[in-house]
Amino acid sequence: MENIQSQSRQNRYHGPITSLTNAAMDNDTPAHTNLESQVDALAMLILQVADNRDKAAFGQLFQYFMPKIRAFGLQRLNQQGLAMDLVQETMTSVWTKAHLYNAEKGAVTTWVFTIMRNQCFDMLRRVQHNREDTFGDDIWPLCDATSEYDIQPDHKLTAQLLKHLDALPLAQKQVVQGIYMQELTQQELADALKVPIGTIKSRLRLGLEKLKSFLEIHND
Amino acid sequence: MIKHHPTQDLLVNHANGNLPLSMAMAVSAHCSLCDTCKEQLAQLTAQAADLVLAQPKTQNVISGEDTNSNQYEHEGTKTFATQNATLDIEAMMERIMAQPVATNIPNNAPLAVQIKQQHYTVPSAFRQHLTRPWQILGKVSRMRFDVDEMGTRASLLHIDAQGEIPQHTHKGYELTLLLAGEFSDLNGNYVPGDFIMLDGQHQHSPKTVNGCLCYTVLDAPLHFTKGISKLLNPIGELIY
Ligand SMILES: [Zn+2]
Repeated sequence: MENIQSQSRQNRYHGPITSLTNAAMDNDTPAHTNLESQVDALAMLILQVADNRDKAAFGQLFQYFMPKIRAFGLQRLNQQGLAMDLVQETMTSVWTKAHLYNAEKGAVTTWVFTIMRNQCFDMLRRVQHNREDTFGDDIWPLCDATSEYDIQPDHKLTAQLLKHLDALPLAQKQVVQGIYMQELTQQELADALKVPIGTIKSRLRLGLEKLKSFLEIHND
Repeated sequence: MIKHHPTQDLLVNHANGNLPLSMAMAVSAHCSLCDTCKEQLAQLTAQAADLVLAQPKTQNVISGEDTNSNQYEHEGTKTFATQNATLDIEAMMERIMAQPVATNIPNNAPLAVQIKQQHYTVPSAFRQHLTRPWQILGKVSRMRFDVDEMGTRASLLHIDAQGEIPQHTHKGYELTLLLAGEFSDLNGNYVPGDFIMLDGQHQHSPKTVNGCLCYTVLDAPLHFTKGISKLLNPIGELIY
């Protein structure tokens, strides 16, 4: 328990765990909880796109982000057509790069913002300098090779947590089982399930959060 | 230990994508070398993202499975309230979902640079610029990047051991980001990651004992101040 909580505090933008710690301290913040469940819902949708190329999930992401990206694009690029280009380019990356999203690194909104800002940077250079270069993703990389850290299994916690294992979505259950019961490494699991290691980390994180939320409910 | 960091203002503008390419590369490269600023940039980016992309608290969370054709009218924007616009949006979604999963995505692993038999690694922000030629003048070598920003000069600058740049002042600001090695000037010694911004008021003449590799950004040509160096002005132009 200590382990998970201290990790959560390292990143206040990581929604679900933060909401659990906040909820423990202050039970009267429905708006905040709402925001946090939004964060969780967006992360689930991204994982469905990453894992299953789920078109319905993408449709919901598109509905959610389209008007916001368009407003940002209008403000920056000052032209309706360019704003819609920004929507298209950003949402194309959300569709084609969903597997790069890593819940440990932050909220879905931060990840989509990164894609959008990078794209907008390149579009602005195109408009202002008539350049076709694409430097945005070099300056703000989507893929972090240097800061991989692993979640250390905490065996004191395990037995209690695993009681609720069946309540998890299958993809998360597989990963939690693999790490805690079969003692596979994250890389071994990634190879076995044929998904990137970032996806394993995301599923493990989301799965543990959910299990932990069950624990808190039962302890109250 | 890194003592010189970008200002908060630069970090905020970098998080929002407001800096020109030359400076965006500098801040990005600094953050690759400085965990403090990297962490701060991550927080500033999350804050910027919240402002632009998070749901206002008064609204409900994403609506669920409903994908009826009126959804875009609910967003409250007249331009997209028409049936045609809705069809355009649906066509866009179809085009997007016809795309395959992206592969070969560049990561931020450092990149190798070789100059005068010295091997260095530099932050990945410079990835597409490193094919430019080195221009070598004595102990000083320069690789000028093509940033196409009205008079701004962005370069990698390598100085051999025991080398120095003649004393000079600047018309505009001069940014030096030390990437490898060490150098010193009147203000002290610098280590890799140090982000040194000088305005037109300052004079300095960087010297290096063991050699160094820097990224420099100048928004105006240098103007040398020492008598003898005046004669070297064309060289100054060449150096940066
Ligand atoms: Zn710093």
